[in-house]
Amino acid sequence: MNFSMVKRLILKDWYLQRWLILGSLPAGAITLGIIALGGNAGFFLGILLLVTVIIAVGGQLAVATMVSERKEQTLAFVISLPISYREYTAAKILGNLLIFLVPWITLVLGSFALLMFPPALHLGLIPFVAIMAAEILTSTCLIFAVALLSESQGWTVGAIIVGNLALNGFGYFVGHIPSIANGMWSAPLNWSPAASFLLLGEFTTIALLLGLTFFFQSRKKDFL
Amino acid sequence: MKDLSVHFAGVSKKYPHFALENINLELPTGSIMGFIGANGAGKSTTIRILMGLVHQDQGAVHVLGHAMPAEQVAAKLDIGFVSEDMRLYKSATIAWHMEFIRSIYPRWDQSYAESLLQRFDLKPQQKVKGLSHGQRVKAALLLALARRPRLLVLDEPTTGLDPVARHEVLGELMAVLADEERTILFSSHNTQDVEQISDQITFIDRGRIIDSDDKEIFLDRWRRLRLVLPPEATLPRLPGIVQVSGSDRLPVLTTNSFESAMVSACHDMGATVQAVDSMTLEEIFVASVQGGRERQTV
Repeated sequence: MNFSMVKRLILKDWYLQRWLILGSLPAGAITLGIIALGGNAGFFLGILLLVTVIIAVGGQLAVATMVSERKEQTLAFVISLPISYREYTAAKILGNLLIFLVPWITLVLGSFALLMFPPALHLGLIPFVAIMAAEILTSTCLIFAVALLSESQGWTVGAIIVGNLALNGFGYFVGHIPSIANGMWSAPLNWSPAASFLLLGEFTTIALLLGLTFFFQSRKKDFL
Repeated sequence: MKDLSVHFAGVSKKYPHFALENINLELPTGSIMGFIGANGAGKSTTIRILMGLVHQDQGAVHVLGHAMPAEQVAAKLDIGFVSEDMRLYKSATIAWHMEFIRSIYPRWDQSYAESLLQRFDLKPQQKVKGLSHGQRVKAALLLALARRPRLLVLDEPTTGLDPVARHEVLGELMAVLADEERTILFSSHNTQDVEQISDQITFIDRGRIIDSDDKEIFLDRWRRLRLVLPPEATLPRLPGIVQVSGSDRLPVLTTNSFESAMVSACHDMGATVQAVDSMTLEEIFVASVQGGRERQTV
């Protein structure tokens, strides 16, 4: 694996997506402000907006860096460079993951900060928020996998819809797990084994999704 | 033994509705090959296999001494590739593209790149989305040429250009090529473009190479013989007749193996040779394709 070439391709995508990265941070900061200062209604509206911002960033990244590469015919330019399909795939997976982690980590840490410090002080919500944040990361990795494997806008939009629906269903499911739901609205943090199990499952799913994508993509015989 | 930059031996690739069959192709180092075929003939598939972008089902491909597709990374370091369906990043400037390519290719020649910018009348700070199609082709050519490749692969670079832009691109390309010796594979369905810059010609049709030779030999060996036959005389049997057209009395023979002895052979058989016409590359290409297709259907 030519890591120097992988790095160059990652930096290329970072440069081309710089406005998306930079734009997502103030948008996320505004939603965190609404959560902090908007009272009860603002809290729920802010959460909704925050989730929307993060999902939108993931979807836009997948379309802009993977689907559009073929649609806008820049793929021929990139793959004529001295790279193999494995290196191209590695660069796409790593690059998109790293780009997405910038707003994701920033906004997740911002959310934790809001829950941990006055005036909100909802420590009991931390396990739920952590699980849902990991779920958003998992959905985004699913979108990346579908976009990279299919290079199709239709399939990618389908994956965004499925990821969004799964997020709602998963949120409902997690919110009704007794060991998580019982302490959710209380001040002290109550981290249950169920929360650890769910988080472990989510990160395992992410590793599997990205690993399998790399495996199948590397075996492709035709670039174009 | 010839020094070959590109060598295809028995290469095949099957798709559901198209097959590239038993492609044998040799491109000697230092020569410029025009690769001519109609739309859908297999030019781009052949070039994609050459670049390692598509894996052949059968056969061996060597490019600059590297086995493809296994050693495509090493081979692509020495190849400049421009294709009709290649686009640059719209939101980035030409200067950004130049810097990106410079960071990858150790032989990138910045002063040459700057001279090409001037010659192609391109502004480095211009974003790709603001360029015309002709300018985009010139920018792609600049990026390919300034990396100083040992092999330049141009897949229909003039397709889709208006006549003025096409003339400009070809003119600039010829001026650039006159500067030094390069090995080039230039594919097009436009024979005029290819004729201007190539010294070797290869025709492809329906996934098969139908002819390949030095351009001058190509133009020399193809002729059209306009005959007048006396009543009840039969058409003389001559070698290399690809097509027979005209009427029974005034036949026109197209041959791909012309020799002056053919004229005396016609006279000996009672025919009068009214004219021996040279053919343009386009006429040769059309006759080759039609002759090949007729042989396939027989």
